[in-house]
Amino acid sequence: MASLASVGQPAGHVEGPSKVTGQARYTADIRLPGLLYGKCLRSPFPHARIVSIDTSQAKALAGVHAVITGAELPDRRIGRFFLDKPVLARDVVRFVGEKVVAVAAESMDIAEEALTRIAVEYEALPAVFDPVEAMQEDAPRVHADTSTYTHPPVPDFVHPGDDRLYPDIPNVVSQVFYTHGDIEAGFAQAAREFTHTFTIPPVHQGYIEPHASVVQIEPDGKVNLWISNKTPFVARAQFAAALGVAEDRVCVNTAPIGGDFGGKGSLMDGVVCYHLAAAAGRPVKMVMSYTEELLAGNPRHPAVITLRTGVDANGRIVARKARLVFSCGAYSAFTPLHTVHGSVHAAGPYRMPNVEIEVFRVYTNTVPAGHMRAPGAPQIVFGVESHMDLIAQELGLDPLEFRLRNTLIEGDAAPLGEKWKKIRCKETLEAAAKEAKWGAEKTANRGRGIGMYDREPGAFGPSSATLSIAADATLTLMTGAADTGTGSYTILQQVVAEELQVPLESVRVVQGSTDSAPWEVGAGGSRLTHMAGQATLAAVQRLKEGLTAFAARHMETPSEQVAYRAGEFVNTNGQHLALPTLMAALAGREELPLRYTGEYVAEDPMDVTSFCAQIAEVEVDPATGQVTLQKLTTAHDVGTVLNPLTHQGQVEGGAIQGVGHALTEHLIVQDGAVTNVHLGDYKLPTSMDIPELKTVLVESDAGPAPYAGKAIGEHSNVAVPAAVANAVFDAVGVRLMDLPVTAEKVYTALREKTARSRTMRRGNS
Amino acid sequence: MKSIQLRVNGQAVERDVADNTLLIDFLRNGLDLTGTKEGCSVGVCGACTVLLDGQPVSSCLTLAVTADGCEVTTIEGLTEGDRLHPLQKAFIDYGGFQCGICTPGQIMSAKALLDENPHPSKDEIQSWMMGNLCRCTGYYKIIESIQAVADGKVST
Repeated sequence: MASLASVGQPAGHVEGPSKVTGQARYTADIRLPGLLYGKCLRSPFPHARIVSIDTSQAKALAGVHAVITGAELPDRRIGRFFLDKPVLARDVVRFVGEKVVAVAAESMDIAEEALTRIAVEYEALPAVFDPVEAMQEDAPRVHADTSTYTHPPVPDFVHPGDDRLYPDIPNVVSQVFYTHGDIEAGFAQAAREFTHTFTIPPVHQGYIEPHASVVQIEPDGKVNLWISNKTPFVARAQFAAALGVAEDRVCVNTAPIGGDFGGKGSLMDGVVCYHLAAAAGRPVKMVMSYTEELLAGNPRHPAVITLRTGVDANGRIVARKARLVFSCGAYSAFTPLHTVHGSVHAAGPYRMPNVEIEVFRVYTNTVPAGHMRAPGAPQIVFGVESHMDLIAQELGLDPLEFRLRNTLIEGDAAPLGEKWKKIRCKETLEAAAKEAKWGAEKTANRGRGIGMYDREPGAFGPSSATLSIAADATLTLMTGAADTGTGSYTILQQVVAEELQVPLESVRVVQGSTDSAPWEVGAGGSRLTHMAGQATLAAVQRLKEGLTAFAARHMETPSEQVAYRAGEFVNTNGQHLALPTLMAALAGREELPLRYTGEYVAEDPMDVTSFCAQIAEVEVDPATGQVTLQKLTTAHDVGTVLNPLTHQGQVEGGAIQGVGHALTEHLIVQDGAVTNVHLGDYKLPTSMDIPELKTVLVESDAGPAPYAGKAIGEHSNVAVPAAVANAVFDAVGVRLMDLPVTAEKVYTALREKTARSRTMRRGNS
Repeated sequence: MKSIQLRVNGQAVERDVADNTLLIDFLRNGLDLTGTKEGCSVGVCGACTVLLDGQPVSSCLTLAVTADGCEVTTIEGLTEGDRLHPLQKAFIDYGGFQCGICTPGQIMSAKALLDENPHPSKDEIQSWMMGNLCRCTGYYKIIESIQAVADGKVST
């Protein structure tokens, strides 16, 4: 893309100066006159009846301005899709960490002191923590009656499945089937069948900014909300519904988001913060501590994944049946959909004509689960890609060879029937294998393992953007989308600069509040480069057309004889009119700045995807079981790379999240309670935990984003855990069926393996 | 309550603070220097790193009274007028941040490193920066940003 001036060039974040100087004000940094601080008392029980609450001592404390309980609030449940969560617990608590009482006070210290003065009497109820146990007839019911719970229809952008919401199975929130082909006929063709079950614990998104909310109520009742939420317009709709007011009575204001990774899409404390502000008559700020984040945030769904696969005599997959059981915790309110949509990846990027996937989301008395980078996929792909290696081993095939026999190639239908164009699956895998020197000699206790994944660019919901030009010809793009750190604003800046052939720095990008920006779904699902990018492109086209008409009038030339070219208009007579000259001429005659809004809705379904092949190389210490990830190769089937700097940033950041998921991260749940509740115990990767990283880009020209770009945000994190587990098997011959791959587990498995081989030797002698 | 006198980003400051006030709260709430961020609150993530007499400390674990008589430098103290510090510029040009929440702490730690060792090796940078968590970048571009400054590749 050498012909492009801005697109394709590395560009640092447009909002960079504010972030590196500390000037950027995140939600927790907002100060308002009369601001109070809110804090919540949380349940110590996984399931209990609230017998009584005594808040009198807390209310009597000097500096306390509001103390509220669930019973005092309107009986209205909140959520993103399923409205099943009370703002504060009413009558019953369903997980350790559930909010029971909220306090607003002059300082955080006073608020915390007030919490210690609240007495709550509980009566413990039977609880269930495992999603498979929760589906049994005799299991305790997390919600005694779900018949009054409401939800919208399943949106049409979701992969079509047979969707059953609140089916007649204990604690099941949703049961979804995805089928293609004839599963029984498929297994009938199989020479061999393999079944394996994998367990994946919950993990936290690990953003460094804990959730924060600020609510200010104006004298006329209009509500100003600042919140760590990446989808302000969707948040406004959910917030207004939770308050029972019209959306135009709420303004969601802008603040940078300090890391998202899927976790910043809910209202979290926003609604309780509103009720505190209303009760106190003053603005209130709530900031979760990191302990509250780990105890009661909205982590990735834990899962139990069972895969059954039929393979013919030539090592080709003929049928795949998957049963995926996700624990959604005590409430389903934190997920934007009825199911975990990564479930469609249970067949992997492989040719298999007959597929049946059954997905359950199940209530348990644990922390409610939410979304995290490629929701559902890392859990499922750990199963799918480990299962592929287990099958290859049984068949006596090299894991690479087994995959190459089965990868999708141009012209294939995907397992659930999608028709992708320009399939680069095999090419991506081969590129990874070449870079990783698959098949090269290894020293003792070294191993290599493969993981694969594919994900299509996000295409849901409308996007819009407004491009304005002021009297001094400065250009400002206003978007309603939050940039969660991915660099989306910089991409939009590049699109404007490219189309208008002006320097990058001459284009400002601002986020508008929900009162000032045009409606926009926001960040999520790897959609912004595509959707907001196309909306921006449409806005630029409208601006060009609008200005061309003005220029034509000014030059007294018919519009069709005027062309825009790099900051000026030229007519067929060779007359030039610079943009600033035109804008100066318009001043006083037109209402400036001129504003042009572009909108975009994608064609559905997407006809392209992006493949990712990763190869981990590990060294295992047989004495301790310690696994060291020496090298990670990540190969991506990409479209035009609009910004190589931020694109690579997504690849690297995602890959290291995958490393954490593979090796160290795990919310340890005991009797329903998360026990590793600070970042000293919950181990995010540090700068010392990163491997040598090799990135390979397999370029294509088939993306739906401007200039044929694709998505990259949710690709490199997904297959790393499987690649690492497969590499550990290759290194020392032990197979882990659950995550993370800790030294303790590898050590235990090595000892069991040694004991087995001794027993076998004795048996032989 | 105790009266403390200190210099913050070169400015003399005198304030009464409670004995248990943390330096981070003193800076953020008392002086409205919100560039210093609170992440984990237990001295693990490094987002709250500031320099106390030139040494990096977790301001979430430091009592404000211990800064009495000291020089405190926060991220707001690195710019000279509109001119970015080379580390600040490098973090933009080399992609050393994404969401930006850990960035003030990263830059303050990096400054402490370069003040002590102007030409660190890549391994030294990697090891020194271990106390600053970043969830966005995977650290590669943070290391590159610091290396670029150490190698004199960044001018402001």
